[in-house]
Amino acid sequence: MHINLRIAGEAGQGVQTTGSLLVDALTSMGLYVFSTQSYMSRIRGGLNWFDIRISDQELFSGSDLADLLVALTEESLRELSSRVTKGGRVLFDGDSVSNGIAIGFRKVAKEASGSPLMANSVAAGAVFGLLGYDLDALCRHIAGVFKKKGAGSVEKNLACAHRGYEIAASNTPIRSPKGNGASAETYDGSTAVGLAAATAGIKFVTSYPMTPSTGTFTCLASLADEYGIVVEQAEDEIAAINMVCGACYAGVPAMTTTSGGGFALMTEGLSLAGMMELPAFVMLSQRPGPATGLPTRTGQEDLKFAVCAGHGEFPRAIFAPGSPEQAYELTRHALVTAHKYQTPAILMIDQFLADQRKNVAELSRESRPIDRHITACPSGDYRRYAVTSDGVSPRALPGGDVFVVSDSDEHTEEGHITEDLDVRVQLQEKRLRKGAAMTSDVLPPTRYGPVDADLLLISWGSTYGPCREAVDSLNASGHSAALLHFAQVWPLNPKVVRQALGSSGPSANRSARTICVENNATGQFASLLRERGILATCDLFLKYDGMPFTGEEIMGRVIE
Amino acid sequence: MSKRETAWCPGCGNIQILSSLDKAIEEAGIDRKCMVLVSGIGQAAKLPHYTPSNVFNGLHGRALPAATGIKLANHELEVLITSGDGDMYGEGGNHFIHAIRRNIGIKALVHNNQVYGLTKGQASPTSDLGFETKIQTHGVASLPFNPLSIAIVERCSFVARSFAGDKDHLQEMMVAAFNHKGGFALLDILQPCVSFNTKNTYQWYRERVRHVDASHDPYDQTHALKLAGKWEEEIPIGIIYKDDRPSFESQLPMLSEKTLCEQY
Repeated sequence: MHINLRIAGEAGQGVQTTGSLLVDALTSMGLYVFSTQSYMSRIRGGLNWFDIRISDQELFSGSDLADLLVALTEESLRELSSRVTKGGRVLFDGDSVSNGIAIGFRKVAKEASGSPLMANSVAAGAVFGLLGYDLDALCRHIAGVFKKKGAGSVEKNLACAHRGYEIAASNTPIRSPKGNGASAETYDGSTAVGLAAATAGIKFVTSYPMTPSTGTFTCLASLADEYGIVVEQAEDEIAAINMVCGACYAGVPAMTTTSGGGFALMTEGLSLAGMMELPAFVMLSQRPGPATGLPTRTGQEDLKFAVCAGHGEFPRAIFAPGSPEQAYELTRHALVTAHKYQTPAILMIDQFLADQRKNVAELSRESRPIDRHITACPSGDYRRYAVTSDGVSPRALPGGDVFVVSDSDEHTEEGHITEDLDVRVQLQEKRLRKGAAMTSDVLPPTRYGPVDADLLLISWGSTYGPCREAVDSLNASGHSAALLHFAQVWPLNPKVVRQALGSSGPSANRSARTICVENNATGQFASLLRERGILATCDLFLKYDGMPFTGEEIMGRVIE
Repeated sequence: MSKRETAWCPGCGNIQILSSLDKAIEEAGIDRKCMVLVSGIGQAAKLPHYTPSNVFNGLHGRALPAATGIKLANHELEVLITSGDGDMYGEGGNHFIHAIRRNIGIKALVHNNQVYGLTKGQASPTSDLGFETKIQTHGVASLPFNPLSIAIVERCSFVARSFAGDKDHLQEMMVAAFNHKGGFALLDILQPCVSFNTKNTYQWYRERVRHVDASHDPYDQTHALKLAGKWEEEIPIGIIYKDDRPSFESQLPMLSEKTLCEQY
């Protein structure tokens, strides 16, 4: 069973603090959680909420309706009480409420601790009381969190949690799932990318802060001392990508983090990395556009942009993880690919994945630097861009025995500027041969669900989770559905995709309905599949209101 | 490595800059294998191809961030930028401001010919008021960018100016810039463009350039600004300003023992 807990209020009121506290306390009890955040682009005020789905089974998606709404403001009560399940409950932070339970968190905090500042602990205690959970588990967690602030702080917060619990527990409790051995370790997408980059040997990260990519930049800054990473906030995104190119040229794995607008500024630098054959790595965390769009919301609108970003023609690899665990794996894989083929790689996430937090099996924190593919002993007639059969040339670093010459102009095998048009053709074909090699080295899409399903959902990136939940719900209610998820979206290899489609898709069941599920308005991935001759037609489930899909929503659209 | 044929016009100031650079590298005892010449785009930006060196000839205006990335990845490398006024002060203007703020240990030699050569004669950010071109048909109306003043106000750790027509002075200033160990060094080099700048000619500069008086204290910011402001009547050349502040890379704890590259 699963329930959805929603904490809603203004920015700056502690919505996120209370939410994070509860996630940690719940996972310490062996419960599965899936938390998402919905917030406005402002520091104070507005309407923000933090959803925590709780279950005894692994979760992959959020939910539209709340079983327990904790409303910290009148506005959140007004806006969100219609989005509570039948039989769901409302806990209001105030003196009275017509259709729920009213507890003045600040007032209770003041009574219990002498200060209204610990209202978050009262709220957490009250939630535990209403859900009938073990108060001791919450208290153990609170004691751990506030330990560094001193014994007095621990004591006061515990008193607040106790009081909140007591008041709420006088009400009929909500039926809630029991702990079922879930991993107590949770990660959000942002942190998973940051940790993966640090352990893979990223030595230099430079970015201009931009929501929703900043979480990863911040994570890498917090890991910098431990892993020996230089972190620099660039003056703009153009500087960031060019610094990354310089650092790659000099020999260290380097990356930048950004969102669509910043990525737009980076495209000339991306093209430079293509021309100079540098393993530049970009994490592109999407939000809805065009232009500034909806800064704190989610979308998958930059796929075709990323596929074509940068003038001229050069190979690139683009990955789109579907979960925090996959974000960890693919960050490493993207860096491996960039270095193997000496060309840029892009990891595409979005606000939904960046901010979603769930239990994960332990992610290794051990430093395991990737192979930079550096030629050990280049000879005297070293040519940085030597023409080879697979297009990959020997990579040396400046400061060694040979000169390393790289040019953004078309260049000779030695790297010097040239306008010899025969050389141009040779070198362009050499670079593009790397693209061909990468195409035969792609990650195949993964299948989930029965092989002969009547319905096949196709997803890429963060829509994996909601699609997976929809498949489970459909199959549990007598339908027959499966999912094909693409974690690598470029290059696309028609042969590899057809193999994956072969056993679960139209060729196995010719009457199967195929639906591409995307967080955009034009079906960009479906269009790429069509363009590459992989899938001539399919239905589209599109969503572009800035909110992620939920499993229930996809199921609803299938059976309507 | 054999000398490559240059793409410069006969009499171009770049030719003298290249010759002085080769001599300055030798005089300063720089190991070319541990030197990277970084440039953007423009006629000046082609210089790295004409002398034995590691080369990063990047995008227009982006020599500074690329050089910053190189220096941070391997701060043992001597990172020199040789690029023009359009590249460094126009397209790359934002990076210019921030490289000085950082005080990253890069030497920037700016070939300042006050005109766009490669695109055939449009105004540059340093073109004089009233300078007529096929685009600025009524003459340049915007005030010229003063790189020295900006650098001095931002407390750039080394600011100098020289003239391509005074080869001994140019070599001396290059060596002084190379020997500067305290962060970012700016050397603005007045460079006549024989094809597109008929105003600021060798003759025009020769009549105006004056070696900075030995009594000038480069740590005197007020006097340095006064020197940087001189132009039409008299143009001071020499070390204009110095500021002792720690380089960016020397403040990073990750780089205190080894370069990032060595740590991999």
